[in-house]
Amino acid sequence: MTTVAVNVLQYLLLVLGAPVLRALIARVKALIQRRQGSNLWRPYADLLKLFRKEDLVPPTSSPLFRFAPMMLTASTFVAAALVPTVYQSALLGFAGDFIVLVYVLALGRFFMGLGALDGSSSFAGMGASREAMISALAEAPLLLGLIAVAILARQGNIVEIVRWTLKQNFFDVSAVHAVAFAALAMVAIAETGRMPVDNPTTHLELTMIHEAMVLEYSGPSLALIEWTQAVKLNVVLSLLIGLFAPWGMATSLTFAGLALGLSAYLLKLVVLAIVIAVLESSIAKLRMYMVPEFLGIATALGALAVVFTALMRR
Amino acid sequence: MVLLLPLLIPVLGAAIVLFFRRATRTALLIGTAEIAALSWLTFATYRHGSVAFGHYLRADHLTAVFLASLCVIFALVLVYSSGYLRHLPPERFSSVRWFYALLFLFLFTMLASYLSSNLGLLWIFMEGTTLASALLVGFYETEGAVEAGWKYLVVCTVGLAFALFGTIALYLAAVKSGVAGGSALDWTSLMAAAPQLSVMKNLVKLAFVFLIVGYGTKVGFVPLHSWLPDAHAEAPSPISAMLSAALLNCAMYALLRYDAIAVRAIGPGFSHHLLLLFGGVSILIAGLLMIVQRDLKRLFAYSSVEHMGIIATGIGLGGPLGLYGALLHTFNHSVAKSVLFFAAGNVRENLGTLRIDRISGMTRMLPFTSGALILGGLAIVGMPPFALFVSEFAILSGAFSQARHLVAVIFLVGLTLAFGALLFHFLHMLGGEPKDTPESRKVAGTELAVIGVCAVVLLIFGVHVPAQFQKLVEGAMAVLQQ
Amino acid sequence: MVLVDLAASKALGSAAVLLFLTVLMLAAAKRMSTSIVAFALQSAVLAAQVLAVARIHGSTESYVIGALVILIKVLGIPYALFRLVDKLQAPHDVKLSLSPVYSVFITAGLIFLSFTAVHTYVQELRVSEDVLAAAVALILSGAFLMVSHGKALMQIIALLVLENGIFLAALITTFGMPMIIEIGVFFDLVMGVLLMGIFAFRIRDTFEHLDVSKLRRLRG
Repeated sequence: MTTVAVNVLQYLLLVLGAPVLRALIARVKALIQRRQGSNLWRPYADLLKLFRKEDLVPPTSSPLFRFAPMMLTASTFVAAALVPTVYQSALLGFAGDFIVLVYVLALGRFFMGLGALDGSSSFAGMGASREAMISALAEAPLLLGLIAVAILARQGNIVEIVRWTLKQNFFDVSAVHAVAFAALAMVAIAETGRMPVDNPTTHLELTMIHEAMVLEYSGPSLALIEWTQAVKLNVVLSLLIGLFAPWGMATSLTFAGLALGLSAYLLKLVVLAIVIAVLESSIAKLRMYMVPEFLGIATALGALAVVFTALMRR
Repeated sequence: MVLLLPLLIPVLGAAIVLFFRRATRTALLIGTAEIAALSWLTFATYRHGSVAFGHYLRADHLTAVFLASLCVIFALVLVYSSGYLRHLPPERFSSVRWFYALLFLFLFTMLASYLSSNLGLLWIFMEGTTLASALLVGFYETEGAVEAGWKYLVVCTVGLAFALFGTIALYLAAVKSGVAGGSALDWTSLMAAAPQLSVMKNLVKLAFVFLIVGYGTKVGFVPLHSWLPDAHAEAPSPISAMLSAALLNCAMYALLRYDAIAVRAIGPGFSHHLLLLFGGVSILIAGLLMIVQRDLKRLFAYSSVEHMGIIATGIGLGGPLGLYGALLHTFNHSVAKSVLFFAAGNVRENLGTLRIDRISGMTRMLPFTSGALILGGLAIVGMPPFALFVSEFAILSGAFSQARHLVAVIFLVGLTLAFGALLFHFLHMLGGEPKDTPESRKVAGTELAVIGVCAVVLLIFGVHVPAQFQKLVEGAMAVLQQ
Repeated sequence: MVLVDLAASKALGSAAVLLFLTVLMLAAAKRMSTSIVAFALQSAVLAAQVLAVARIHGSTESYVIGALVILIKVLGIPYALFRLVDKLQAPHDVKLSLSPVYSVFITAGLIFLSFTAVHTYVQELRVSEDVLAAAVALILSGAFLMVSHGKALMQIIALLVLENGIFLAALITTFGMPMIIEIGVFFDLVMGVLLMGIFAFRIRDTFEHLDVSKLRRLRG
């Protein structure tokens, strides 16, 4: 098995297996609410259904409306290529790629906002403006957290950072990592549109942020958007796992190593899914103008993480 | 035994008083026993030089000076309270039994701090004084009392937390420079080993800064004094007297002990400069603030702040004159301030208010109390032939003999400000026409007697300090400058 | 046994991080219960430190003190505070006088400040810089909490955090003060919290609220 083949396989796992993660979270939430919950493979059926349907566009929209979801998908899939999951390497990797990751994701969100505005629906405009505010505020802590971790590892390449973290001792709790994890976890919630920043299952338009932007979409465009949301969640979670708890990841191309890496990765994803589900079931959504406060705290934590790289040895 | 008895009586007394309905009589009985025990202790110390019990209790001449003053003040406060509380309407406060019980506990904690030879134990009992007196300060069920009590509790506990940090830092410095761990908090051992501490100079300095800030909060140095005016104004008058006359001295005692160690370890420059700084600032600012006061007891509270500044200046100057003046002043100020607070209590009871602008023509309404106020006022500003003149003159001479002219100027300016403020406020209260004629209430015999005793003491000490007391003070100075 | 020793040394090493996290948690907390839980966690970390020191130095006194910390600061006082919140029927919000964002920023600044303050003393005292800075940070953030919170109960917690910081500083520099002093300090702490609780009731009864920042009758 060559490195390239492994990279391609883990990329496909990330991208194609993403919908299952969202279904898992929904299933655990259903169990908590003592409901049956839907099948784990349901999202695939939904996606197939949507792909077969017709793509309706508002009469006042421009080609940008149909172009936006494609741009979103493209950027998120490029971002997914930067993240290692099972083996300590990724399809794409170069110095400074964590900054590229942040801004590629931002590019996708930008086009999504444009597409929403293009749809000329008031709810979509509202959603786009809210999303813009959140992403503007989330950029700082995201970059600060990643920079702190990068300074500590003395590497600018996500794969290299992961390799460095793998060599560290688990029990030497690192101040930088602890605070950066707190900051990045808060940003992850904002980025992927989960509670308490945004409720992905709400049907009340005035409380929507991301869902409001996609109200006008249908058919394959909607399928792409839903799929991309799932991939984004998977990317963000895999990034968190890789940067902060990568132990178990395969370091060599042996079958045993890869099997261990795969099971470790899946186990961690499942644990995170359960944690997210429990969190979503127990706290209420934040009011809209508490979100800047929430992200402000994340920014303070990110700044502190960077300061800590200078003050503490680990 | 001689050391344990004065400590046991108040503790047991506090418990006993809670069970008897005739609280005042029981309290007076127990109080008499306690005063007897304290006097015995003071005489024993005077005769033997120092008395010790076990590892943690010790009394030397310095302790005896403060014990004498505590004994006198406690006796006066107890007698005054018995009269004062009987005049108060019963719904104004919680219960008479708790008052005496808490008073005894308060006395116990102060006594225990005086008698501790271990600096950590000293801290523990200083914190105990805060806890014991908090409920006394907030004794009345009024808004002001509750606010004052809370502020007192929080500010003093925070201040003492800093003092704890200082204590630990000093302990650390001692241990690191070779003193054995078990005796690194014992004052006499630290005094003996102090020259060794000069190795950890920075740490000793850090410790002293925290200690002066911490215990300075309890003493009432500006700018740490925020609890003081409120606590004095809202507490019952006998408790205000106890606070000003006994508690502030207790905190000053702690500073004296620490200053002695610091001087032996790193020389007098650092600690004395800090004391002079805090003292000077307190004198000036308290003097200025006295002018704008509108409540009588707050006025007296700021006067206490000023006098604590004077004492700190005396310690900071050091030498035979400065230190002598400071030690003598702790006693003189206690007695004079008690007179003022007792008189204020009378004013409150008979006129119903302590607001200066609402009182006038007091000489006609309450002749005896007016006399007491004039006497106390003259004493507190340092007029001869009252005792404070002697101690303040000593401190001033000390300043001039060391050519510290700035200190002397600040001292004199502060005293003048205080004099002016008191004159202004008293003239307003005592002169003019009475606002209305209240039902003439007699001054209780106890209150009369108490103020009379204070006046006599102040006159005696003003004319000639009794030889025994002189010997005690000189012994105390010897203890501090070993 | 080797595992216990390993745990002890790791506890000593990573305590600073956990303490910083609790400090930040206290700064960002919006409800009373979060603050009380943060304080309990902080005391638990301190207890782990005490027990680790006891294990490494083999002194039984430190074990006793560790047990006392757990009993009083981790279990007793938080339980008492929760009961107090219940009985006072106080609204659960924390009455922060500035927004949580600024509070967290200022706390981060205080942490940085404590590192700079500790720098000169580290060589002299031969202690780990992180933990001493954590102790100073606890003291500073306790003072800041006291100033920035208007609620009586929060001031109690701020005071407790301050004492925690002093306790930690004493622990790592002296590895334990004489027993009687430690016990006396604990006793004072418990009595202090008790008295503050009594006063909180009085404030609530007299003023109908627990907002200490509104107690401004006495001024000047």
